[in-house]
Amino acid sequence: MPDQNGPFFEDIDMGDEIGPIELVATDENVSTFCELWGNPMPNRFTSQEIAEKSGLPGPIVPGVMSMAIMSQALTDWAGPESLKDLDLVFRQPIPHNKPLLISATVTDTREEDGENIIECDVLMMGEAGERYVGGIAIITLPSSGE
Amino acid sequence: MYLDLHSHSVSSDDSRATVEQYVKWVQVLRNKRGCTIDGFVLTEHRKFDFDKDYSQLAAEYDVLIMKGSELDTRYGHVLVYGVTEALAKDIDLGDVKMDARELMKAARHHGAIAVPAHPGRFGIGLVDYMEQGETFPGLNMVERLNGGSRAGENERADTLCQEQNYLGTGGSDAHLASHLGACLTSFPTDVRDERQLVEALLAGDFTPVWLKDAK
Repeated sequence: MPDQNGPFFEDIDMGDEIGPIELVATDENVSTFCELWGNPMPNRFTSQEIAEKSGLPGPIVPGVMSMAIMSQALTDWAGPESLKDLDLVFRQPIPHNKPLLISATVTDTREEDGENIIECDVLMMGEAGERYVGGIAIITLPSSGE
Repeated sequence: MYLDLHSHSVSSDDSRATVEQYVKWVQVLRNKRGCTIDGFVLTEHRKFDFDKDYSQLAAEYDVLIMKGSELDTRYGHVLVYGVTEALAKDIDLGDVKMDARELMKAARHHGAIAVPAHPGRFGIGLVDYMEQGETFPGLNMVERLNGGSRAGENERADTLCQEQNYLGTGGSDAHLASHLGACLTSFPTDVRDERQLVEALLAGDFTPVWLKDAK
């Protein structure tokens, strides 16, 4: 048996659900991300004043950070090298310091070019049902027989 | 029968669901979740796909696939069922500033029907415009249940329907395969194509339902 804690391809079926995983992107998280990213601060992601000048109600979570958060949620579930593709649509600005619910639903399973492929709808929502980010993820999983 | 009257395929710029994924998802809803869903309408944003034919896919998966539009107007989004080439010549489907009242009138003139989508949506829904004093003479139905609504938005649509005595439809507003069918419209009669859908809506005998109630 492979030495891994994630799911096997054979365990997964269409309609299976992952999550929701709840987390919060705090002011501090966003500042740290901007620092690592190399985005000079203050900016619309960290400053109320600059965000308002950009027509936003307040500082928002960078799109690339929300993509990283969703990627991590998926790789935490499936394994570090499992994520092949993530295609997202950013529908609404994501606020700081508010619960973010990340979930995925398996919409297809198939074997393709020798790989075990799982296709998922992925979603980042707010607690009032706001659909912040949605899209699809392509994940590879090992077979239990490998 | 249960139909999802509001969905978007990859033909809309903000959707990531193919029509094939939708019909496969219908099988999940039917076979694993025990729900009844007979078909759906692809209401693509600001367009109508005259050139697309899904009849083979529909037959293969035993799912009714119909086509419509979701058009932007200065008074919010409007779903249009029964779109014809004549209607598309008469109005600019991509005109985001069109008057919803003119659209409703043109739709009826050409045998189609225009139904305001998610009227309770904060900031951009019909309820907001009515609160600002706009009136929509002749309007008698709106989308009452929308699967993409935030907390409070379907409730606003519900209140609108009760206060104005409007009929209400249901649709998922799916942009991803797994969201299809979240809300549906229940018809007591069979609908087989877009023309019959318009007739069924005009007859007024339908009810919006949540997926959990479509069993």
